[in-house]
Amino acid sequence: MAEISPLHSIKVNKKKCIGCVACMKACPTKAIRIRNQKAKIIYQRCIDCGECLRVCPYNAIVPITTKPSAVDIFKYKIALPSPVLYSQFGHEIMPNEILMVLKEMGFDQVYDEASVCEMINLAIEEYLDENKSPRPIISSTCPVVVRLIQRLFPSLCKHIIPIEPPREIAAKNLRQEISKEKNIPEQEIGIIHITPCSAKMVSINHPETMEKSHLDGALSIREIYNKVMMKLKKEKRPLMLQTQTRISGIGIGWSIPGGEIRGLKYSNSVSVSGLYDTITILEDVESGKLKDIEYLECLICPDGCLGGPLTVENRFIAKSNILRLIRTFGGKKRVDVNFVKKLYRDNFFSFEHGVKPKPFAPLDKNRSKAIKKMKLKEKIIEKLPGIDCGVCGAPDCRTLAEDIVRGDAQLKDCIYLTTKKYKRKENYGKKKN
Amino acid sequence: MRSKTVFQQEFKIKGGDFVNAGESSCKIRNILKEIGIDADIVRRLAIIAYEAEMNVVLYARHGAMYLFVYPDKILLKIKDMGQGIENIDLAMRPGYSTATEEIREMGFGAGMGLPNIKKNADVFKITSKVGKGTALEIIINLNGKNG
Repeated sequence: MAEISPLHSIKVNKKKCIGCVACMKACPTKAIRIRNQKAKIIYQRCIDCGECLRVCPYNAIVPITTKPSAVDIFKYKIALPSPVLYSQFGHEIMPNEILMVLKEMGFDQVYDEASVCEMINLAIEEYLDENKSPRPIISSTCPVVVRLIQRLFPSLCKHIIPIEPPREIAAKNLRQEISKEKNIPEQEIGIIHITPCSAKMVSINHPETMEKSHLDGALSIREIYNKVMMKLKKEKRPLMLQTQTRISGIGIGWSIPGGEIRGLKYSNSVSVSGLYDTITILEDVESGKLKDIEYLECLICPDGCLGGPLTVENRFIAKSNILRLIRTFGGKKRVDVNFVKKLYRDNFFSFEHGVKPKPFAPLDKNRSKAIKKMKLKEKIIEKLPGIDCGVCGAPDCRTLAEDIVRGDAQLKDCIYLTTKKYKRKENYGKKKN
Repeated sequence: MRSKTVFQQEFKIKGGDFVNAGESSCKIRNILKEIGIDADIVRRLAIIAYEAEMNVVLYARHGAMYLFVYPDKILLKIKDMGQGIENIDLAMRPGYSTATEEIREMGFGAGMGLPNIKKNADVFKITSKVGKGTALEIIINLNGKNG
């Protein structure tokens, strides 16, 4: 890529940010503080979930995705849209029409990811058949879930299925095939994912399971939406072209939570979507509570990728559109089982390496000091009002206490401890015994 | 002087309270993560704490968990006021359970709790008095640089 790859997919527009507490409060990993009346992202704690992006009332949190102009540097351009794109333009628009419009917009080729989803379904089943490691095995599809596990549940890294998600496998396959077929050097082919979230951008720039991603960039659905919509409305494409397609109904189903497990023969599999529900279920996995579950699909956005922060259509309408498409294209298996099994044995779907744990930094590298800081932190929490107002610039009193023992904040940052008016009410916000 | 470096916290557990069951073990995990305890040890302690907490919820009126973090080890004590265990050897046998039909229907009482705790502990002590209650003492050693 011509532009410098950012470590994360979210940044703060300081001109728009007024320093309210909305994003800081919403952040599940407590990665945001307010400093000098502006939101400040602590990138070591950020998992790119996009919650801040959703809640900001001032549009001051900006997603970083590939700029359409950056796509032009490639000689041969391929669009690889997430099946979510099919749900964005109403229920009368067929996937093929959308793919055709993308091609008209300057891509040399467009490719439907859905059939690859179906292949991955078979690969997951092969893995579950063969591998008897501790259960549940967790899906690798959502890049935020992978990062959440690395950060908050490091001991669960080995539960992540070592199979790349459909977007990566599709890109890997395409690059090899197109290069051979059209005789174009692999590096001159640009494969661009059309994405419902900016987290995919991070997984492209900084993959956790391989040296280099098979994708070259990601355009957000929001970014291309108007142009696609206008083209769709302006000219109707011939009906034959609209419907003549090999699109996989099973694959399209992947965009709805449960899509990954629906086709599995292991019926004791579970699908979870939404940030807080995902955290809760991972806590249960960590307690050893869910050993009997075979496969766990976790998607960080509510209603999965349909609820991605960079989508346009209301996620419930989008879901209805997808359900209609699933009905239209049916549950017929479109991929050759033996072919997929061969690819699986050749490790075509496999991670290059496992997901490595990346826990948050402890209070101190020295364990004795960390224990002392933990004790100090509990003492500080006792002093704080416990009402989590956020005025100090930390999302809640506990986090302020943690920042203080880490040396990143001071007790006097708490307005309740410094303002006379509140000083009198010593037990403000505290539970009465 | 090392013995002074200890972080301790008490967690009360209410018998029969399935709504809040698992909360204490969750808090314990978060403390250990913040102190920087190795992920695999946190996992072992998570399983121990959860199983022990569930035992109190299932079989006792009330109880408490006490967490002690030393630079070189973690000590977890669980005490409950409950029915106690008649035959500890039997209770330690995988699959043995005195759980009622109701408890089993809720998906508990498979007889794996105590064996699972023992499996994950470095030191495991259990004492019990019928009609009074049960006490567990678990130690996990922390090897490594800062011990």
